[in-house]
Amino acid sequence: MNIMDIITDPNTRWILLGTMFLGLSSGVIGSFAYLRKQSLLGDTLAHAALPGICVAFMLTGVKSTSYFLIGAALAGLVAVFLISVLTRYSKIKQDAALGIVLSSFFGFGIVMLTQIQQSEYGNQSGLDTFLFGQTASMVMSDVYMMMTVSFILIFTCTVFFKEFKLLSFDPGFAKGMGLPVVFLDYFIMMLIVAAVVIGIQAVGVVLMASLLITPAVSARYWTERLHIMVILSGIFGMLSGVSGTLISTSVNDLPTGPLIVLSATVWFFFSMLFAPKRGVLSSIWRRVSTKKKYSLEQDRRKGSHSS
Amino acid sequence: MGFLKSIGGVLAALLVLTGCGNGTAENDNGNGKLEVVTTTGMIGDLVENIGGKHVEVTSLMGPGVDPHLYKATQGDVKTLDSADMIFYNGLHLEGKMTDIFEMMSKDKPTIAVTEDFKENQLRKVGATEHDPHVWFDVKLWIVAAEAVKKELIAKDPDHEAEYRENYEEYVLQLEELDKYVHEEINKVPEDQRVLVTAHDAFGYYGQSYGLDVRGLQGINTLSEYGSKDVTDMRNYLVENKIKAIFIESSVPRKAIEAVIQGAGKQGHKVEIGGELFSDAMGERGTEEGTYIGMVRHNTDTIVRALK
Amino acid sequence: MNQAALKVENLTIAYHKKPVVEDVSFEVPEGNLIGIIGPNGAGKSTLIKGILELIPKISGHITIKGSTYKSMRKSIGYVPQRESVDWDFPTNALDVVMMGRYGHLGWLRRPGKSERQKGMECLEKVGMAEYANRQISQLSGGQQQRIFLARALAQEADIYFMDEPFVGVDAATEKAIIQLLMELKEKGKTVLVVHHDLSTVKEYFDWTMLLNKKVMKIGPTEEVFIPEYLQATYGGRLAILSDTKSGLLLK
Repeated sequence: MNIMDIITDPNTRWILLGTMFLGLSSGVIGSFAYLRKQSLLGDTLAHAALPGICVAFMLTGVKSTSYFLIGAALAGLVAVFLISVLTRYSKIKQDAALGIVLSSFFGFGIVMLTQIQQSEYGNQSGLDTFLFGQTASMVMSDVYMMMTVSFILIFTCTVFFKEFKLLSFDPGFAKGMGLPVVFLDYFIMMLIVAAVVIGIQAVGVVLMASLLITPAVSARYWTERLHIMVILSGIFGMLSGVSGTLISTSVNDLPTGPLIVLSATVWFFFSMLFAPKRGVLSSIWRRVSTKKKYSLEQDRRKGSHSS
Repeated sequence: MGFLKSIGGVLAALLVLTGCGNGTAENDNGNGKLEVVTTTGMIGDLVENIGGKHVEVTSLMGPGVDPHLYKATQGDVKTLDSADMIFYNGLHLEGKMTDIFEMMSKDKPTIAVTEDFKENQLRKVGATEHDPHVWFDVKLWIVAAEAVKKELIAKDPDHEAEYRENYEEYVLQLEELDKYVHEEINKVPEDQRVLVTAHDAFGYYGQSYGLDVRGLQGINTLSEYGSKDVTDMRNYLVENKIKAIFIESSVPRKAIEAVIQGAGKQGHKVEIGGELFSDAMGERGTEEGTYIGMVRHNTDTIVRALK
Repeated sequence: MNQAALKVENLTIAYHKKPVVEDVSFEVPEGNLIGIIGPNGAGKSTLIKGILELIPKISGHITIKGSTYKSMRKSIGYVPQRESVDWDFPTNALDVVMMGRYGHLGWLRRPGKSERQKGMECLEKVGMAEYANRQISQLSGGQQQRIFLARALAQEADIYFMDEPFVGVDAATEKAIIQLLMELKEKGKTVLVVHHDLSTVKEYFDWTMLLNKKVMKIGPTEEVFIPEYLQATYGGRLAILSDTKSGLLLK
């Protein structure tokens, strides 16, 4: 399959565009989530979306993507609120709070899914696909939605870049300076909800977390400047979307969503090994050459002593 | 010491309770009917028609339920437990229930209606698997009916005569149905005799009645489809100028829509010919809520769209 | 009459029903270096955080130069404890210092040339100008402390709050910092410092606050930093070596 084939093939083109925008937005907002040590928040919000989708179906009786997404978004907001309340007003730390909300919401979602399965509603199968996503059936309207959300996310992160930077680095100082920390906190979490809600259609509830985490972690290996990290993270996200889609276009029976996740992981390993300065190979080389230099120095000194 | 003793007491009590749970699966309903539990509605319909007023049938999977993905709930297990007989499809249609069937078969007749099918009657898929969607070949379904009759008689010999009579009557209806389908399909021009659906449920139908059958998702909706499957399907439609493809009541329509839109982009108009009942029948109480009604509806829909 | 740089009335802060700072009231005059000292767990850090509204308080009213805290936010500089931050953050020294200017920039403006310049000036003042582009995790503890100080300077405040700025810092850095504080004082600024080292209190601070949940004593150092009050504050965990020179903490 050459480039022309790929670009002219309408379905492939839609999937490529859609996953590109998806990867871009997850990568960008994922960087901030990562730096704020809220990576698992994406996972929690993705899993929490399931009951939201089920409730939307139960209330409307219609299998419409827009209703589902509204349900997912609302569930995400409730989850965010609960996590905040748990961490602020009890002794529970963030990772435990995330775990509690994730498992309880997801469990509730599975119960509802089963209920729907039992009922006379029939055709709940559309809900099942939210578990692992339906990337292969993307059409242009999906692309438009992903594009819109991407633009909103990127625009917001650009406008509020310095606030997000300060908030992620030193929230105490930020608060002292008068930054509305609580509001910004919720704001960033809502942006994560947005990215999650469009993402779960493509890669599903179970795998969404990786799209938020992996590109950001990969990007971290390459730079010490925040704005570069965010841009790189978006690029890695895009690359994962594109490479996952391309592989899935050449072989049958390979589900596109999981392939995107695998691609993101490959990019991560590549970064971890080969990034200069922070990468593994680079650290090893540095250590080896420093050792070498040191022992050469030793020999030289010993040599000059004995002579 | 007292604490340990009370723990031991509680554990012993629990053991006794669980032990008591089993073994009381005797038929204790007052009306003397045989309690039969089936998996799919089609099998339920079959048992009702042959068993007549001597059976009380409960089907676990209602309209719109996908038997490939169906996971039995606690409630289902209870229902199965209190049944006198269980009929299921077999050939891995109810992929997630094999363990339960094994467990139930220890206490009561748990029969796959396909147990008497010969190798040459079955369609092979891959090296070892068989296509389980046998009910779409009406002639084959008659063989299943025989198995049901045989087992009902074995379990309840008192009513043998009535079972035989019901069976004969029903088989007459089935044979008429078979003829009907043949006649209708013959009305479709030869080059249009292609049936394209969401998953490969209509293999037997196509084989028996002379249609080329193609599905997007393979034999089993458990397998995820990738973007190549979508583009392949779309190319097939465009190249062969297929007019209509069909959605299924128990499988999500997003994939089909993506294929249609893609074909549209390539200049070929494909319509949704209608909704077919594949792995589940229609609503209870309607015409399509019976086996015969379901097959008729499918046939009419297909013929109307392809003519 | 000079209004107080900082006036605190009836400040009470509690963690889980136990009061950590109890009914604290005091006033602090402008243009002074004030040391806040007390035993571990006395609530010194908490006091600062409570004043700056970083943690919720049960009661209390804060006035800065006669106006409410909220309206005076731009005039406040803050140097938090070094451990309050994960230093493995992708940013360099200059970037961190420029964060001190965000208050003056407001929401939509991006830091530009003049912010960079101010940032560099502040880095110079703390002697870190050559590290401007260094990633912050590569800095030593003392250097990180200096960065935080530079950031506070960039805030161009009238009153500064510093939370244990001398912890884990080498002698040279400590000297440099104290030098800076003196300069600030000369400019009429007020600096409150949570301090851990009793031996340097007399040397550094004009005023001292002895804190142990409540304000035991506050006032000019010569008046306050005497054995009687110290014993009261530290509750007998103190052995004083020589009368007016230094004190030793015994646990």
